[in-house]
Amino acid sequence: MIDYDAVVIGGGHAGIEASLALSREGYSTLLITQSLDAIGRLSCNPAIGGLAKGNLVREIDALGGEMARLIDSTMIQYRILNRRRGPAVQAPRAQADKFSYSRLAKETLEREKNLHVFMDEVVDIISEGRKALGVLTKRGNEIRSSVVVLTTGTFMRGKIFIGEYEANEGRLSEEAANDLGWNLEKKGFPIGRLKTGTPARVRLSSLDLSRMEVEKGDEKMRPFSFDYDEVERPNLDCYITYTNEETHKIIRENINSSPLYGGKIVGKGPRYCPSIEDKVIRFPERERHQIFVEPEGVGSQEMYLNGLSSSLPEHVQEAFIHTLPGLERAEVMRPGYAVEYDYLDPLYLYPSLESKMMENLFVAGQTNGTSGYEEAASQGLVAGINAARKIRGESALVLKRSESYIGVLIDDLTTKGTKEPYRMFTSRAEYRLLLRHDTADQRLTRLGAEYGLVGKEKLERLEEKLKRIDDVKVLLKAGRMEGKSLYDLLKEPERHISSFSIDEKDEILDEVEMEVKYEGYIKREEKEIGKFLKYEDVTIPPSLDYNKIVGLSAESREKFSSVRPLTLGQAMRISGVRVSDYAILALAVKENRESE
Amino acid sequence: MQSDMRRYETDEPIYGLATGYQKSAIAIFRLSGKGCIELFSKAFSNARRLEKASSGTVIHGYVIEGGERIDEVMVIKYTSGHGYTGEEALEVMCHGSLVIIKRLSVLFEHLSFAQALPGEFTYRAFMHGKMDLVEAEAVEELISSKSETSSNMALMRLSGGLSKEIDNIKGELLDILSSLEVYLDYAEDEVEEEWVYPEEEVISIIGRLDGIASTYNATRIYQEGATVVLAGRTNAGKSSLFNALLKEERAIVSSFEGTTRDYIEADVLFGSVPVRLFDTAGLRESGEAIESEGIRRSRKLITSADLVIYLLEDGEEESDVGNENTLFVHSKSDIRKSDGISFSSITGEGLDELVKKAEEMLIGKAEEHPGYVPISSERERDALLEASSILKESLGKSDLSLDLLVLYFRDALSSLQVLTGEITSDDVLENLFSKFCLGK
Repeated sequence: MIDYDAVVIGGGHAGIEASLALSREGYSTLLITQSLDAIGRLSCNPAIGGLAKGNLVREIDALGGEMARLIDSTMIQYRILNRRRGPAVQAPRAQADKFSYSRLAKETLEREKNLHVFMDEVVDIISEGRKALGVLTKRGNEIRSSVVVLTTGTFMRGKIFIGEYEANEGRLSEEAANDLGWNLEKKGFPIGRLKTGTPARVRLSSLDLSRMEVEKGDEKMRPFSFDYDEVERPNLDCYITYTNEETHKIIRENINSSPLYGGKIVGKGPRYCPSIEDKVIRFPERERHQIFVEPEGVGSQEMYLNGLSSSLPEHVQEAFIHTLPGLERAEVMRPGYAVEYDYLDPLYLYPSLESKMMENLFVAGQTNGTSGYEEAASQGLVAGINAARKIRGESALVLKRSESYIGVLIDDLTTKGTKEPYRMFTSRAEYRLLLRHDTADQRLTRLGAEYGLVGKEKLERLEEKLKRIDDVKVLLKAGRMEGKSLYDLLKEPERHISSFSIDEKDEILDEVEMEVKYEGYIKREEKEIGKFLKYEDVTIPPSLDYNKIVGLSAESREKFSSVRPLTLGQAMRISGVRVSDYAILALAVKENRESE
Repeated sequence: MQSDMRRYETDEPIYGLATGYQKSAIAIFRLSGKGCIELFSKAFSNARRLEKASSGTVIHGYVIEGGERIDEVMVIKYTSGHGYTGEEALEVMCHGSLVIIKRLSVLFEHLSFAQALPGEFTYRAFMHGKMDLVEAEAVEELISSKSETSSNMALMRLSGGLSKEIDNIKGELLDILSSLEVYLDYAEDEVEEEWVYPEEEVISIIGRLDGIASTYNATRIYQEGATVVLAGRTNAGKSSLFNALLKEERAIVSSFEGTTRDYIEADVLFGSVPVRLFDTAGLRESGEAIESEGIRRSRKLITSADLVIYLLEDGEEESDVGNENTLFVHSKSDIRKSDGISFSSITGEGLDELVKKAEEMLIGKAEEHPGYVPISSERERDALLEASSILKESLGKSDLSLDLLVLYFRDALSSLQVLTGEITSDDVLENLFSKFCLGK
């Protein structure tokens, strides 16, 4: 008996996108979470977006996902980052009111008629052979479904560390999902451990803001979503302060009471987001580290100490916090802590995010070894879309590296795997001139429509935008000044489109200016993409038996068998495979196709 | 990064020697890929006939470079769909001397043909449906070539000094790239300082790249071959050595003084260096007109030679022969033992050593920047020059926005891949995290 078309395990950023995608495509979906009150929590920093991450959020929106709308309605500061460093690497970031964000996420789920949100804890996946059939819960509910989406975040065998203190929790005072971890291990899933951390929250009224620098947001807020043009939200300030020699001294003197340095934590943490004790120990020459003091929400007293993540004992945390200017009397409301958790090796996933270990099981978010809300949501959306397609028996949506950061993310995970929490960086993308945040709709919305989640209205907005861009270009080519077309004139470094007084929205003008000025570079990148796609289009059947291919080296045979690449392009990105082995694979693939 | 190490491709123009790399009467080159006829025509005397000819036709003509005829050849033309690979293709039959083979190879690279990977022609034949028995041939070729492929890999081929210098340059470029990527991956509020174009460092790297590139004295030593002159007193055994080096009877060898009246030349290979070897008339004052004319010409050759191999007679002291790049050797070691390099033209003893020493001296001559070990292939030289030219271009663009400037450093690094191996975005991030304290 099938109770639901789909079961989604977990109500974080991946679970939200996955369950919305499935239910909006008309499938009866059950989202099971350990706590209804924790849906869509921002467990760590109160911000969405940032470099490369802002691009992910806008790509999610372009494909019909929810994250952009959630942050648009709950932001309390907005900034375009890296304005002066070139358009290809700019991205939006917003501070979020994390309480409203979480509440809005829950309300959004509750509004979906095909979606049932239910509080329980999944302890096992019911399976037969190598097929997922549903889930078993702690209270003994056995729920059957066609597909299962697993998004456990930091909860699978999550363990929290603060100095000597340890607890089996996924977030402070929220119980971990231990049984699920044990049962998946028993089933043979390849499980590893990762670690991440979060800083203390302090009380606003106990801070001396006058001793800190003020960091203001942009005056004009812009939406992440492509569906509307305006955002009207309160605009709050953040603050900046610095650590000093005294701070570092306290940390150094107490480093032995750190669970990380004491060897209690085995999971690997992210190098790009180190704890303050890591920064002090690894970079002893640095005299100070910058700390951002950020509001967690309108009307809340909780302030987030960005940059001060720590798992040192609480009294040590309090002591070093008090050495920072403006924080001398800070009242700690929540301590910083480290959390270690289970993740499943993403090499055991197809690019559709379906598990190679178990058919009909899709995995997304931190469970796959990533970090970050945006990375989680991106995978949740793709897992949801592909779970729906699996039910219909349709081919999977696999985004290309040349068309989206989401494509880069999933390709990296499923082709190279990861040994530390994976975060998106612009430098991971080969074609970043083309993967700008403002072109996400042009790159993905038509695809989103084709794959089911994008409605007519969004498509029409895209067509409208494209027409306006074209119109401006026509105008530039027709108009003449100083014996040149405006189009050619705009290519000169000091010229700006604003000086031509064209009557059009800033967003449109900015984009045209970028396209004209970067034309040569963009064309070159497009040419590179042409070469890249040649291999992406050669598909490899997942059932290909690598043991039967004559001449492959043992090492490559093993690598191909474990990754089971779906295209020749993907095969070529597997690290450490010899050139001649690719050639043998290409021959075998062609032979295989012809004999079928 | 952008361009990878060359992979097995279809359609890209490639060349390969179908006959072995050894001296023979005739050698055959295969050219295959889109546009290969047009490319080859640039260096073919009979280009118009070649263009008009139908598939399967044989055309006679000369391969020409810079106005000079390199060799007389026969060319078979195949239009797309007809040749071995199924692609537009040519078979070029030339004379089978190693110098000709080497010069044609260099020429093909100039014409932007890539050297075929082992088994690549068969690979293409299969991919274009010209062949169906995979296991029988292509795979076999690929497997048997594996050792060769890996021995061709980037760094392995490079000798110690060069590999270290290239490594340093790679490291410095990677540092610049990472320092730039920091600004693209972390926002302005997290990275406080502004990025400054490291002009001094870039200029230094450019200088070193150009320096290494110029050690490859391609235009002379490798392309045209080096000029090596055998000199010595009359009857010192020059002609016997000449023949021993040629391994065939070509000069008239006799034990009478003054037998070799004018010089004789032949193409040989000293290790990797193609050599035009001259046997000169004995340096002896003579009343005979022909001989003294011969001696005058010999002297001229000696002054302009890349290397003179001077055969010392027993008891003769080393002296100034008019060329500072002279290798003094003792001949006829079969008759008497002596110090230094000595050899016997009759038993062959000591010949290998002589050739090796001569090669070393020739390569040493190609080296104009002391301290660098010379690179050994055209491809490597081109890679170095490309990287250098990309960096030069970036020098003039230091006011570009960072998202564009970074492309120059990415490209410079990726054009060095022939020498350094592939550099991935993980390498960049790895370097970045280890050098910069980042992250909120």
